[in-house]
Amino acid sequence: MLLVVAITVTGCSGGSPPSAPSTARGKQKVSFLVFPSPNLPESYWKAQVELVTKAHPDLEVELVAAPSESERNDYAKQLAASGQLPDVQIGMQDLVALEPSLAPWSEQELTDFLCPTCGAVNGKVVQLPANTQTIPDVFYNKKLFAKAGVTAPPKTYAELVAAAEKLKAAGITPFVSGGVFVTSQPWTAILATDLYARTPDWIARRRKGEVTFAGSPEMKAATQKFADLAAKGYVDKRQIGQDYPKTQEAFLAGKGAMYPMGSWFAAAADQSDIKDDIGVFAWPSDAGTLHLPAFTGGGLSVSATAKNLAAAKEFALAFQLTKENLDASVKADALFPAIKGYTPPPDTGPVFKAVYDLWRQALDRNATVPAFGWEAGDAAMPPGMQGKFWSAAQDLVSGRKTVDQVLSFLDTEWEKSG
Amino acid sequence: MAVGTTRPRPAPAGPGARERRPARRRRTAAWHFLTFAAPGTLVYVCLVLLPIALSVGYSLTNQALLRPHTEFVGLRNYWLLLQDETFLQSLRVTAILSLIVVIVPNVLGVAIAVLLDRRGRIYNALRTVFFTPMVISSVVISVIWTRILADDGPVNQALRALGTREPPGWLSDPDLALYSLASIVCWQMLGFCVVVYLAGLQGVPQELLEAAAIDGAGAARRFRHVTWPLLAPALTVNTVVLLISAFKIFDQVKVVTNGGPGTGTTASVAFVVLQEGFVENRTGYASAEAVVMLIVVAGLSVVTLRFLQRREVQV
Repeated sequence: MLLVVAITVTGCSGGSPPSAPSTARGKQKVSFLVFPSPNLPESYWKAQVELVTKAHPDLEVELVAAPSESERNDYAKQLAASGQLPDVQIGMQDLVALEPSLAPWSEQELTDFLCPTCGAVNGKVVQLPANTQTIPDVFYNKKLFAKAGVTAPPKTYAELVAAAEKLKAAGITPFVSGGVFVTSQPWTAILATDLYARTPDWIARRRKGEVTFAGSPEMKAATQKFADLAAKGYVDKRQIGQDYPKTQEAFLAGKGAMYPMGSWFAAAADQSDIKDDIGVFAWPSDAGTLHLPAFTGGGLSVSATAKNLAAAKEFALAFQLTKENLDASVKADALFPAIKGYTPPPDTGPVFKAVYDLWRQALDRNATVPAFGWEAGDAAMPPGMQGKFWSAAQDLVSGRKTVDQVLSFLDTEWEKSG
Repeated sequence: MAVGTTRPRPAPAGPGARERRPARRRRTAAWHFLTFAAPGTLVYVCLVLLPIALSVGYSLTNQALLRPHTEFVGLRNYWLLLQDETFLQSLRVTAILSLIVVIVPNVLGVAIAVLLDRRGRIYNALRTVFFTPMVISSVVISVIWTRILADDGPVNQALRALGTREPPGWLSDPDLALYSLASIVCWQMLGFCVVVYLAGLQGVPQELLEAAAIDGAGAARRFRHVTWPLLAPALTVNTVVLLISAFKIFDQVKVVTNGGPGTGTTASVAFVVLQEGFVENRTGYASAEAVVMLIVVAGLSVVTLRFLQRREVQV
């Protein structure tokens, strides 16, 4: 009955505005949903907003913090369901569910973006496709590699497995893992090289019912590869209970040699004492060809019911297009702004430079593929499936379920979501 | 053993006395009853009966909070529930949790209550210590225990210091996580059980215990044949409260394990209901789960209550 009380109580406030309307010539009030993370503390968001309001003194921005980075989407959906979605939000992932609550962006408003239709839902762009992230890159500890006798980053999958074996033999945990989404990162990487490289529209085909998880030989083979890594002891299954910040700390403390993680980790790596000992490489394919999983989107979205829709859009565009803001996002969260003509500041750290160069290299070779589990809009899995995918990865690492059981579970959950 | 007091009884009313009572007095009594009962009834209707009725209504639809159109689907959600492995798994998890949470605090609670049923400052202080977890927020307790049971937390550090090379992954091992979670809940609920049993022990007449002792009964026999039967009401209260608490468990699951590790290893029914409703955006389906949960909890509570009340004795 908790559910009904929550719906009923929150539903009562359905008509209340997210922020008070401003007077005709007074300050334009805008509420802004942000999320705290190890890279993006409250001070970061305040500084970012100040940069915009300094240039746009007519705007007054009130920050609303989501409970955590991983819960920001659920929180936004709850607010949207009760008519309390803040005027502007950042980094929403479940765009299909949120689409009715979001204002669409026009072609004209999107002219400065490199990929103006990325993340579209039913042809409507409801989130500014503001930046690109590569998910995952493989960060590695050069000293631990050298200690285990691994002289160079692996270029093929066989070399990767050989390096993991050497590391394990030297008493070093090959892959650092963790709870929430971290466990699934190697799986996303393998799906990039073994599935998306050949079938980039796999999710679209799954939506049409042309393929299934359990019935796709490529999906099954890729998932088996991931399960094998865990079965061989290259992923420490004890680490799946630790949270994301602890996982990051574990890698930076040298508790494992490789850390498959999104490019945003470069920001934390560059802040660490071991930044010069951290290298990066793309998860290698069997043949050694480059396929880098990347996601473009993650920018600001505006509530369709914002009282000051024009002000909210003005703020969102200013936030995403101001050079100082973009530079700050590069330094704090290692984002790659997908804005025409933008180049990162020269004083970024060595790890950021390495991941950025890797991405540019992939772009030049037309070697980027979608990042499984991180897609947005029409290219994404149905609402709630991302969490199931992450949990399923933990089942594979712990050995609780077989590959067939996991894939069949994902099919069942997909059908339920439909 | 209640001592009766004699009060002058009013003279029995003769035939027709009821009819002779002034109508005005009856109206006043009715008005007083309504005045006192209405606020409580209104709150009960608005916050209990109405949500239940709404929940049943939603459960017959495909309502999704963020989807504009809702259709009536009849009993389809209930039919799907019967085949939903996630929901069935959550029922299994909740059943195991409930079993542990009902048994362990009851057993430990009665033992600790017997030890604390003495006078003195130290015993008063110990009663406070045992009750403290009950007044702390479940979220705070969950965060504390998450740190304690972490792989590099104090428990495993102590085990490593004692020579254990591979201490258990209390929260990361799918085979252990549920029992770790249950232990946290037991630890929190223990204080409640102790207090209820202590109150029960205060009601055990000393003369009965003395009579049993004179008859040659030792401490164990006195407890078994005198104290334990008289603690039956306390057992009933503890069991029903623990059963309901265990079935509704959400906070600890959300904070400590978030339903994992893996798929649903520690996901209780309440956790799954909120996941389905607010994360997966399927409110109608989640309402059906909530209705099933209500029926199970209500049914189990009634059966338990009837069963335990039968063994209660009057003194």
